[in-house]
Amino acid sequence: MNDTEFDGHLQELRRGTIVLASLMLLRTPGYGYGLLEQLASAGFPTDANTLYPLLRRLEKQGCLESEWNTDEARPRKFYRTSEAGSRLAAILTQEVAAIAAATAALTDGE
Amino acid sequence: MTATLTDRYIAATVKSLPPQLQSEVRDELQASIADAIDARTDRGEPLAHAERDVLTDLGDPGALAAGYADRPLHLIGPKFYLTWWRLLKLLMAIVPVCAFGGAAIAQALTGATVGGIIGQAVAVTLSVIVHVAFWTTLVFVVLERTGADTGVKWSVDQLPEQSHPGTGRGDLVASLVMVALFAGLLLWDQLRGFVPGDEPLPMLNPGLWPWGIGAVLILLAAETALAFAVHARGRWTAGSAWANTAIAVGFVSLGLTLLGRGELFNPEFVRVVFVANGVDADALTVLAVLAGVGIAGIGVWDAIDGWLKARRARLVG
Repeated sequence: MNDTEFDGHLQELRRGTIVLASLMLLRTPGYGYGLLEQLASAGFPTDANTLYPLLRRLEKQGCLESEWNTDEARPRKFYRTSEAGSRLAAILTQEVAAIAAATAALTDGE
Repeated sequence: MTATLTDRYIAATVKSLPPQLQSEVRDELQASIADAIDARTDRGEPLAHAERDVLTDLGDPGALAAGYADRPLHLIGPKFYLTWWRLLKLLMAIVPVCAFGGAAIAQALTGATVGGIIGQAVAVTLSVIVHVAFWTTLVFVVLERTGADTGVKWSVDQLPEQSHPGTGRGDLVASLVMVALFAGLLLWDQLRGFVPGDEPLPMLNPGLWPWGIGAVLILLAAETALAFAVHARGRWTAGSAWANTAIAVGFVSLGLTLLGRGELFNPEFVRVVFVANGVDADALTVLAVLAGVGIAGIGVWDAIDGWLKARRARLVG
C-alpha cells in the first residue's frame, strides 16, 4: 500500500471486492458509517463516497434490504443482505477463490 | 453551530437528485456524517476541524450525487465516443464544403460582389461547422444519458486498406485546395487588389507581372504535379521529398531575392498602407525582415515535412 506508483492498479483490483465484503458483513444488519469502519478493520479500506452510493445501488438491485432504526437518538438506516444478495456473495466468493487459485498456480510455475 | 457546513454539504448533494430520493439520502447522509464527526471528536479532534475533514473526505457533492443517481460524470463515454468521433469527422468532411458551395452559389445568383460572396460563404460555413459539431454532440450526450443503443457494431470488414501516411485522398485535396487558394489570391491581388479604392492597388509589385508571377505559377503547377504523383504512387519516397525540397527552395529563393532587392512588394501599396499611416522606415525594415523569416520558415518546414513523410513511409515499409 506504500507503493504509490501502483495505486491505480491496486484500486482497480480492490474495487470489486468491496461489494463482496459488504454483502458478507451485512449478513448482520449494519449502517453506513459502521460498515465503513468494519470494512476498514476487515482489510477492505473504502472511501465513504464510494460506499454510500454503492449501498443504495445494491439495495435498488435487491441485494440489500433496508430498514430505519429510530430506537436511538440518531435515526439510522440499517442494511441487511437479502436472499439475492447472499446468492451474489456466494458466486463472488467462488470467483475470488478461483482467481486466488489461478494466481497461486502462476506463482508455483516459476 | 455545527450544522452550517454539513447542512450546506447535504443540500448541495441532494439538490440534483430525483425528488423521491432526496429525503431518504438527506436523512441517511446526515446520520453518516454525524457518525463520522463523532468518531473523530472521540479521538480528541476539535469539532469544527472534524467536520471539515469529514466533508473533505466525502469530496465534491456533485460527484457524490452522481453516484447516488447513477449518472455518468462524462459527456460522452467509451460506449459512444468512437461512433461520435467517426460520425463527426464524416460530417465535417462533407457538410461544410457543401454549405460553402451552396452559400457561394446563392450569393452569386443574387448578384453580390466577389468580396461579398466569399465573406458570406465563409460566415455560413463557420456557423455550419459550429452547428454540426454542437448538434451531433448533443445527440450523443442524450444517447449516453438514456442508455440507448446506436446499433453500430465494429467488424473486421471496416479495417482500412493499408496505406502510407500523407498519401490519402484527403492529403491530395488539401494540397490542391492550398495551391488553388494561393494562385487565386495572387491573381486577385494583381487584377483587383485587396485595398478598397477606385484603382486596383496590388500588394505585390506589379513589375513582377508577368515573369515573377509566372514563375510562382509554374512552381505552383509543379507542387500540384507532385501532389498527384505522390497520391498515385501511394507513398512518399526520397525522390518526391527531393522534388518537394526543390520546389520549396524555389519559392524561398524567389521570395527572398525579390524581398532583398525591394521588389517583392508594391512601393505604391507600401506608401499608401504603411507610410501614410505613420509607419517609419525602421518599422518597415522590421516588417520586411519578418516577412523574410516567414517565407523562409514556411519553405523550410515544407521541405522537412516531405522528408518526415518519406521517412515514415520507409519505416512503415
